[in-house]
Amino acid sequence: MKKYAYTILAFLLCWSTACKKLDTLPPSIISDQDVFSSSAGVTAYMARMYAELPIEDFRYSPERGLNMFWIISPTSATTGEALSRDQNGSMQENTGLSTWSDCYRTIRDANYFSENIAKYAGNFTPDQVNQWLGEARFIRAATYFALVKRYGGVPLVDKVLSYPAQSVEELKIPRTSEEKIYDFIGTDLDYAYANLPEKSQAGRANKYVAAGFKSRAMLFAGSVAKYNQISLVDGSGNRLCGIPATKAVAYFKAAYDAAALLEGKYDLYKKAWSATDKEAQYQNYVNLFFDATSGENIFVRQYHYPESVHGYDAYNVPRQLMGANGYSSEVNPTLNYVELFDGFPKNADGTIKTTTGGKYDLYTNTMDLFANAEPRLRATVVLPGDLMKGVSIEIRRGIYTGPTAGGISPLLPAGSTAHYPTANIVESANAAQTPYTLPNGKTMNPAGLSGYFTGDGTNSVSGFSIRKYIVPDKPTSLVLENRSDQTWIELRYAEVLLNRAEAAAELNALGQGDKNYLQDAFTQVNAIRERAGATLLTGTADVSIDVVRKERKKELGFENKQYWDMRRWRVADKEQNSTVYRTLMPFFSANDNKYFFDARLDERNSRYTFDPRWYYEQISQNEIQKSQNLIQNPGY
Amino acid sequence: MKKLFYSIALSALVAAGSSCKKTDNYAAPDVTLKGTVTDAGTGKSLQTEQGSGTRIKLLEISWSANPTPFYISSYQDGTYQNTKLFAGKNVISAEGAFVPLVQVDASGKTIVDKSQTVDVKDVTTVNFSVEPFLRIEWIGDPVLNADGTITTKFKVTRGTANPDFQQNVSDVAVFINSNNYVGNNNYDNRYTPKLSGDAANATIGATTTLTTLGGALPGKRSYFIRVGAKMQYGLNYYNYTDVKEVKIP
Repeated sequence: MKKYAYTILAFLLCWSTACKKLDTLPPSIISDQDVFSSSAGVTAYMARMYAELPIEDFRYSPERGLNMFWIISPTSATTGEALSRDQNGSMQENTGLSTWSDCYRTIRDANYFSENIAKYAGNFTPDQVNQWLGEARFIRAATYFALVKRYGGVPLVDKVLSYPAQSVEELKIPRTSEEKIYDFIGTDLDYAYANLPEKSQAGRANKYVAAGFKSRAMLFAGSVAKYNQISLVDGSGNRLCGIPATKAVAYFKAAYDAAALLEGKYDLYKKAWSATDKEAQYQNYVNLFFDATSGENIFVRQYHYPESVHGYDAYNVPRQLMGANGYSSEVNPTLNYVELFDGFPKNADGTIKTTTGGKYDLYTNTMDLFANAEPRLRATVVLPGDLMKGVSIEIRRGIYTGPTAGGISPLLPAGSTAHYPTANIVESANAAQTPYTLPNGKTMNPAGLSGYFTGDGTNSVSGFSIRKYIVPDKPTSLVLENRSDQTWIELRYAEVLLNRAEAAAELNALGQGDKNYLQDAFTQVNAIRERAGATLLTGTADVSIDVVRKERKKELGFENKQYWDMRRWRVADKEQNSTVYRTLMPFFSANDNKYFFDARLDERNSRYTFDPRWYYEQISQNEIQKSQNLIQNPGY
Repeated sequence: MKKLFYSIALSALVAAGSSCKKTDNYAAPDVTLKGTVTDAGTGKSLQTEQGSGTRIKLLEISWSANPTPFYISSYQDGTYQNTKLFAGKNVISAEGAFVPLVQVDASGKTIVDKSQTVDVKDVTTVNFSVEPFLRIEWIGDPVLNADGTITTKFKVTRGTANPDFQQNVSDVAVFINSNNYVGNNNYDNRYTPKLSGDAANATIGATTTLTTLGGALPGKRSYFIRVGAKMQYGLNYYNYTDVKEVKIP
């Protein structure tokens, strides 16, 4: 019995010790105090917000959304820049994605920071606090821009919402007008510009990042004001979709002025450039995407193996450089994209010239056709037979074994999407090839090492492969998913110059004469062209809105920008209307021992049609169920 | 003791199991709503394309004053039908390539409201009479030429006198396809002739003749032809003629 008494006593003693401290914070939960009272804590908070920032980088595709490693449906294969075996048409962003709610989470993080950092201001210098407030505003503005460019006017939340202090009804905030959202973005970026320092750590905003983003957002707003036809007005007179055309001039001026703020602060990357050497111009343009010290990088997102990675190389290398995961050649530039450039034979209508007098032109090597190609083209696209990682990228559709006396006539009628006739053509279904014996006794595989394979499609389906952003010296053993960590350049000075040139060309077209806008557009476009090694414009008479747009397509191709450009110009439904894109198929003629090229429509017959509804994307039904005050965009 | 424990456990299980048996005894939807959207000028049904064309908008106000809209897509001949609806009171309107039945001005005030409030039950028919943006009429049947191409004659006119809905015509096309679901969403662009910009706008009021592109059409099959035209308004929906078949020997 005594034993029991002791046990009970010991047990009760345990209770008494527990009485000591009840009013204590749970040690497993990080509180505001822990985060906001030290600069390390604030840096960690910032890192999270920058990581959430909705930018379309290496981890984005319209099919799978933001920050997703698997990018086998590449953005560029929805715009006509490229073809891909896994993306065969135009699309709006997948409506099952959580882009909307993710963006509002980031906006809440930014608002929360802005409202709470003041309580801890005593721990920091005023400069530090101002910089952070500027960054929070920049992040909020960039996030609202991600929303407005997709959906038009969205609910404007500029402070932290709290439940249950506010009722559910109060929290069902209706959408506001598209114009108000753009003005809000402009105001936030002006605040950021005024409060941020001149220089910042890579990956974080400084005042010029804010100005650069402002030029981008205002140009978008100006384009919508000028070109949009869609209108949606709510019961209180807020225009949720569309901006009055009269506002176009003000937005284009805001874009122009913001872009001009960066003049002299950044420059076009020309470290390896030489005015007289095309090879140097090419190498310089390749290097531009990998030099951490480049004066052209304005805002970047850094990656680092193993904690923050992507798989750009693994998905996009040419087939013959394929890594162990078995992915390759997801991005294959179209002939339409290649034909934007100069430096190879062309027909009167601007298409590539591969025949003379109805017979194919013959070349000893596939690269002979592109011997004088613009250096920027070579640095963006792997042309058939060009070098990558020290090997020649071999792209060949098949071997032509037919008679060649008097030349070879086109294999298919113009405009055909049919397969090639099998008579007189040897081809391969996949990479396991049976060599063909040529008349001279040598053997040759019917298809190149990087395709074209008629069966499995794991090859260059357009006759080209992508070079931009592919790490030039990455060993094949490291070409794996989640093993790439090159930096994504979200905003570079070339885009700012193009924003400026476009705003200037638009202002000139709208009859604005307070500056010599045409001359300015001419200067910026020529700066881009000179660095690219392209033919320069000869005078201001050559400048038009179309010329600036074309330059933009060439310079910013495959950087996930054209997806939005086609939308804001409202040209996507014209460009993509049952459109089949073009490819260039090199053949080897066995009897000539030479190559010829067939320019044709995509053999897979992928048709691209852009639905005009997609200019304003569908708001996810989940969001409307959460807040019934949200009005769906027109047509859905 | 053990027996008691088991019997309690068993009865608890049975109780838990029986509560799972829930039959959804609400009657399955069996109400039919159907009708036609007709051109007020001609009295014929208004041709459209499925997906990006006419659709019927239902707002069920039996339960809520601010319901989420429910849509029924119309067939390409302008009729619509849904046989799996619940009975209820609905505000019904139509959307498409015609003067909107519900119009809102810049201040958000509803200035025109031609929607119909209908008790939908059993088999309900709701028709709409609308003014199309553009009215396209055939001038004769499409002709198969000696060279294997097809020539089509048609006339585009305004379907409404309201100047707010008389924007420039941006595109006119004679859509060709090898099946009868033909329109801007489904056509063969190797053969389909198109006009755009000023050339498209010039078709208003005049008889227009267009011939298929790409040389002779492949033989021993039928082609289906339909003329479409659209103007720069809203979502740029097309107005259409009906579909005509041309047999190529």
